Amino acid sequence: MKIRTILAASTATTVLAGAAFAEAHGPMTIGITQNNVGVDSYQTTYEQAFIAAAEANDDVDVVVLDAGGDVARQIAQVEDLIQQGVDSIIIWPTNGEAVIPAVRKASQEDIPVIVTNSNIAEQGFDFVASFSGPDNITQGSRSAEIMCDKFKDMGIAEEARVVQISGQPGYTTAIERAKGFEDRLPEVCPDVTLVETQPGDWNREKSQQVMEAFLTKYDDIDGVYSGDDNMGVGALNAARAAGREGIIFVGATNFSVGYEAMEAGDYWGSIYQSPVDDAEAALQTAIDVLNGEDVPFLNYFDTPKITQDNMGDFTKPVF
Amino acid sequence: MKTGALSEALKKGGIWGFIVLELIFFSVAGQFLSLSNSAFMDLDNMLLLLKQSAPIGIIAMGMTMVMINGNIDLSVGATYAIAAIVLLDSMTWPIFAGLGDWVILMSWTLALLVGTALGALNGLIVWKTGVDAFIVTLGSMLGFRGLVFMFNGENPTSNLNWTLVDFAEAEVLGLATATWFLLAVTLVVWFIMTRTVHGRNAYAIGDNREAAVNAGIRVGPHMMINFAIIGFLAALSAVVFYSESGSVNPNDGQLFELWVITAVVLGGTKITGGAGSPIGTFGGVIAIQLLRKGLGHIGADTSTVNLVIGLILIAVLFIDRQLNVKGKQELRI
Amino acid sequence: MATLTKQEIGTVLAKQGILIAFALFMIGFTLANAKFLSPDNLFSVVRSSTILGVMALGVTFVVISGNLDLSVGSMMSFSTIVVLDLHDKIGPLLAIPAMFAMTMALGAMIGFLVGYLKLNSLIVTLGMLSAIHGLTLTYSGGKNMDIDNKDGTWFDVFGQGSALGIPVPILIFIALAALLGLLLAKTPFGRKVYAVGGNGTAATFSGIHRARTVFACYIISAFCVATAGLIQASRSMGSQNTVGQGMELEVLAAVILGGASLMGGSGTIFKTVIGVLILGFIQNGLLLMGLQFYVQFIVTWIIIILAVWLDIAAKRGRLWSPIA
Repeated sequence: MKIRTILAASTATTVLAGAAFAEAHGPMTIGITQNNVGVDSYQTTYEQAFIAAAEANDDVDVVVLDAGGDVARQIAQVEDLIQQGVDSIIIWPTNGEAVIPAVRKASQEDIPVIVTNSNIAEQGFDFVASFSGPDNITQGSRSAEIMCDKFKDMGIAEEARVVQISGQPGYTTAIERAKGFEDRLPEVCPDVTLVETQPGDWNREKSQQVMEAFLTKYDDIDGVYSGDDNMGVGALNAARAAGREGIIFVGATNFSVGYEAMEAGDYWGSIYQSPVDDAEAALQTAIDVLNGEDVPFLNYFDTPKITQDNMGDFTKPVF
Repeated sequence: MKTGALSEALKKGGIWGFIVLELIFFSVAGQFLSLSNSAFMDLDNMLLLLKQSAPIGIIAMGMTMVMINGNIDLSVGATYAIAAIVLLDSMTWPIFAGLGDWVILMSWTLALLVGTALGALNGLIVWKTGVDAFIVTLGSMLGFRGLVFMFNGENPTSNLNWTLVDFAEAEVLGLATATWFLLAVTLVVWFIMTRTVHGRNAYAIGDNREAAVNAGIRVGPHMMINFAIIGFLAALSAVVFYSESGSVNPNDGQLFELWVITAVVLGGTKITGGAGSPIGTFGGVIAIQLLRKGLGHIGADTSTVNLVIGLILIAVLFIDRQLNVKGKQELRI
Repeated sequence: MATLTKQEIGTVLAKQGILIAFALFMIGFTLANAKFLSPDNLFSVVRSSTILGVMALGVTFVVISGNLDLSVGSMMSFSTIVVLDLHDKIGPLLAIPAMFAMTMALGAMIGFLVGYLKLNSLIVTLGMLSAIHGLTLTYSGGKNMDIDNKDGTWFDVFGQGSALGIPVPILIFIALAALLGLLLAKTPFGRKVYAVGGNGTAATFSGIHRARTVFACYIISAFCVATAGLIQASRSMGSQNTVGQGMELEVLAAVILGGASLMGGSGTIFKTVIGVLILGFIQNGLLLMGLQFYVQFIVTWIIIILAVWLDIAAKRGRLWSPIA
């Protein structure tokens, strides 16, 4: 319901906004190279939403490519898009640094580049028109707050022990979320200990294995923070299989499995982030840039806290 | 015309015919399905294709040698990642601090040496223990990947050096740096395999090891040299590619062995050894890159690309089998 | 007295080397960390090895028959995704046989290509690795598959249930290992598998028998993969499309560690089980010793090569290879 309203609203603005560029140049062609579609539902839903938003807009044509997680292929795709003469390139980086030279090449050809979802490293900022996506540092610190508040309610904020399952190393989203969480947690809950951090690579099975190892290693775990709900649910499965109860699970990027686990009372909270918003924001940013509008360099869309207490305010994620 | 001659022609020219088919298909389909204004058969697009074929192509030349020799190397992806890390990391080592941009030369050399050494290690183990190359390199595929993670945990190793990037992005006579490397490697490997004693012996060993031994060929050193060469080429591929991108994830190069083997087999090299050519492999590499690029051009998604490449590989094997039906009995690996 | 010749030591090593190595490992790890031998830990290692183990049982047949199967990883993700999807559509009772049928149809296709058409198994299964992955992505549309109502189904029994205090996946693994072990060791079919993989190509069997036997081995392999997919799906009640990716090489490593030769004709189910357990215990033992995960890669590398080397060294009666 809510999502549909947002979608309708943003589609409407998209339709209007395409007009200025189109009057001068005909329809604009926007190319996107995604990180790895099919590896998880977020990216798949993102792609579908992106294509749907573009189809709803007569002034926009899109070329949709997928790098399959391979840096070499992504660089090749950026070169292909430059060669095809698209008007703007949206990139979801496979590696926040390795794509910088390719992005520079595009900017040298005067093709504005929009980075989506996960930012590239600072050295590349000069070659990028705008970043569109979630503010991952804020997300990390919000997750820390959710966890700390819950510990305070439970009265264990003085001695709680937490483990962290982070996203894929080298991935800006993973680094920023971990940083946000690690910086914020001691500020709000100085006595909570972060015992260990291991990467779960955005992968549910990998995260389940990581959590199994944590459970063998540590007899006392009160909380688990994972870089997204997909990994969080993997960790939850491991805890369930081992019969360990009472662990507080907090994630990010609320997946439908995470939402269901919250409904069931097994999973405490997360950050609500819609791939539909993400995709539409990226397309809109590209259109705005092409129309010569002023676009902030860091173009964040809001990602609120969601817990068992307020989940009624949110519709279940579609992915 | 005799059927023998026809099948011979088909076998030799098969991969090029396939490339032509791909070009026609994507050009025609592109007219209807692609949003791009430029044609698929555009000269710039084809030059780009050559450049993009380089990472897989350079390694595939080494794989051709190893496979003609009757072996296989599954560890190339991991060697590729190690060489990339050595390249990017060594540029910041304090001992090279005074060298300025000359450090690039040191780092290139170091990365290539490491790759060659790792390849030679594989070769030495195959030679001295007599364990099948498949098992040896399956093991070192894991072991080398372990070394990659040892370097920098699961974090990427990065060092963006613009001098290096500019060199890698440079174009001479319209061809990109990576293209020149691919062409040069193809030429050199072709020369080694057809014009030197080592090449002829490699074919003889792959064709029939016992006969080669009886003919007085020393099998071991030839195998080791070929493994050293593929290690060197895996490192060269990394050096060329990472000069341009400046950052390596510890998982980079995974599955490269599969792509490389696919390209080599498409190019007509026998997995059982004794037959094949670098020129055919060059065709195989181009065919795969064309397929990837073309499917992207007409808007196919990852799942279709995987499906199509897998089926084509099997189909090629089948056709090859039909053409060789009266040929000699194939050895099992 | 001290007449144990090199050759005799060699023979003992060749026959029991893998068991000796296994025993040494267990002793070493136990000395390093007392927690290692606790029943909890042993159970957890065996349980987490079952998926790999079940797949290795099937691949053992394929390898003994002189072929390879590199497609088991992506085939496993296919069966996991399919059974999860069908669970909500037609119910678990129908979904499970349907998934087994579909997976075994893929196995039959490989068996046909390798057995009857005599295509090289490495390339065929390499192609299938890619093709089946594409098929899985097409089937799922790239989405994660999840069972909607996780509490209202008995489907979790295969991965999470337990009987007589033993986790069900372990029971499945043991039962399947016993069954396939008997099939391989005690039946005419088992003898054919060895013969086809050995050097009895022309002499003992006609082409028809050979093709039929290889075909059957791939069907068995697919059956095991489907079972592994079932356990995986039931364990996590939901899955990404990437589950199982890359497992083909781990599976092969376990089979090789168990002493099956890639030339075909040798290996047993029992030894494969030991190979699987060694891999599982190495991983677990090194972790308990506080070593980083990558150490396990390096140790596995050394162990695989040593194991195979000693095995063939004992058979040929000399340590270094005769290759000039």
